[in-house]
Amino acid sequence: MPSSALAVAAGHDVPPLRAEALRKVFGEEDENPVEVVGDISFALAEGEIVSIVGPSGCGKTTLLNLLCGLIPATSGTVHWYGQPAAGTPKAVGYMLQKDLLLPWRTALDNVTLGLEIRGVPDGVRRQRAHVLLDQLGLHGFADHYPATLSGGMRQRVALARTLAHDPHVLLLDEPFAALDFQTKLLIESDTARLVRKERRAMLLITHDIEEAVSMSDRVLVLSHRPTQVKSVYTIELEGDRMDMMAARHDPRFGDYVAAIWGDLEIRPQ
Amino acid sequence: MRRYRLRETALILVCQIGLLAGLLAAWEYATSSSKLSAFLFGSPSAIFGFLVQMWNDGSLIHDTYVTGLETVLGFLLGNVIGTVLGLSLWYSRFLARVMQPFIIALGSIPIIALAPIMIIWFGTDLASKVAMATLSVVVVALVTSYKGAMNVDQDQINLMRTLGAAKRHIFTKLVVPSSLGDIFAGFKLTVGFALIGAIIGEFMSSKEGLGHAIFKAGSLYVIPKVFAALVATIALALVLSFIVGRIERLLTPWRQVP
Ligand SMILES: Nc1ncnc2c1ncn2[C@@H]1O[C@H](COP(=O)(O)OP(=O)(O)OP(=O)(O)O)[C@@H](O)[C@H]1O
Ligand SMILES: [Mg+2]
Repeated sequence: MPSSALAVAAGHDVPPLRAEALRKVFGEEDENPVEVVGDISFALAEGEIVSIVGPSGCGKTTLLNLLCGLIPATSGTVHWYGQPAAGTPKAVGYMLQKDLLLPWRTALDNVTLGLEIRGVPDGVRRQRAHVLLDQLGLHGFADHYPATLSGGMRQRVALARTLAHDPHVLLLDEPFAALDFQTKLLIESDTARLVRKERRAMLLITHDIEEAVSMSDRVLVLSHRPTQVKSVYTIELEGDRMDMMAARHDPRFGDYVAAIWGDLEIRPQ
Repeated sequence: MRRYRLRETALILVCQIGLLAGLLAAWEYATSSSKLSAFLFGSPSAIFGFLVQMWNDGSLIHDTYVTGLETVLGFLLGNVIGTVLGLSLWYSRFLARVMQPFIIALGSIPIIALAPIMIIWFGTDLASKVAMATLSVVVVALVTSYKGAMNVDQDQINLMRTLGAAKRHIFTKLVVPSSLGDIFAGFKLTVGFALIGAIIGEFMSSKEGLGHAIFKAGSLYVIPKVFAALVATIALALVLSFIVGRIERLLTPWRQVP
């Protein structure tokens, strides 16, 4: 695995992802440039889940796009395993709220998309996709086209696609927002288990404060535009942190949620 | 639900047949009772007579075949050229912007104005008609496929990039398949355009084909024969669009949600 090889080479104390003084101004040459990302620094450690919450339109998606090199930063640096980022890093799995499944591909062929691009042999990638689909409770749906799947199933196919090339770091942008509560808890638990057991790392953007608290080791609260890290919460809850229902039963859960709510200061724009 | 839809389809068919029969009956009545000149307007029975006659002397099949061949060749050639150009413009925004005025200029030329030149360049046989059909198709095919390519979702492109896709991956695995919908919509339009192009070519100069038959019968004032050849043209258009629809269904199986 190139990602873990990279991690070993870099030594275990090097965080998989580190952003320093990241800024993004849209339309710099224009008359009225928009400063979206103010000045953001943070690190994501191995095996860690960090959530980012912030007011709507504050620049969360922009931040994620900066991190995975989809748009260039105005200033600041992004390091992957201690190396300055060049383009889109290989060991990253990126997932949006929209499932973005290709309608002309079956569930299985959507999952294998990334492997296909990387030139993995057909037999290997099909087998890998079958394993992932089975794990995510989609046994028997491999040959279905997206149009014939429910929203929750589509989202799980998208998650399988994100995981197919075995990314070391997951960058997720409101991936579970479209799911019903039960499905959401299941997929959240699956994802958390995967990250924690296999010592990956995950950055989760969400509007759902309960989701942030139940899943994460740390929650970063962002301010309005130009966005900055307003506060950081280190979440300590009972249990192995792989069961999202259990997390909600911890008495501290409600306190974290209330505190973060207070920080978000929902105000009319 | 299904049953209801079936009944609706049947009802629509009955109405269509009824409308056609009513129109033909009125036409027949008007011309036979001399309310309408049979010489100027023909009559369904005379048209049918000519169809039988053209069938018997083999010209119906032959002319339909000739025009059909010109149309199909022009359709294929125009769509292949137009689609390849339109999709490849996605590759270079710069080139697309350079080409834009030329494409608009080409698209605004009335095809009929090019017919004499095509006859001079390609002769009076098949080639000039295929050229006319191709010209009628190519710009539409180019514009629809380019539009399709440019409409690809930016999020989808970003996703491909995070999966490690190079530009050629994005082109073959995303842009081409996601443009298929627009490309097929273009096919449905251009099958008619190709037929029109072929017939215009035949009008200008030809020895065979449905356009030739229409032109000849028209200049001899044999109006029912004009209509007979027109019926064959319409039948040809319907058959060709049906085939295009079938091919579309075959090539885009994900669109049929059971
Ligand atoms: N390409 C761009 N050019 C100019 N402004 C942009 C561009 N992309 C985003 N913005 C602006 O940046 C701001 C932040 O957008 P972004 O999508 O990052 O917000 P967000 O925090 O993800 O919002 P949400 O919570 O609704 O998803 C918005 O005001 C948006 O209008
Ligand atoms: Mg967003």
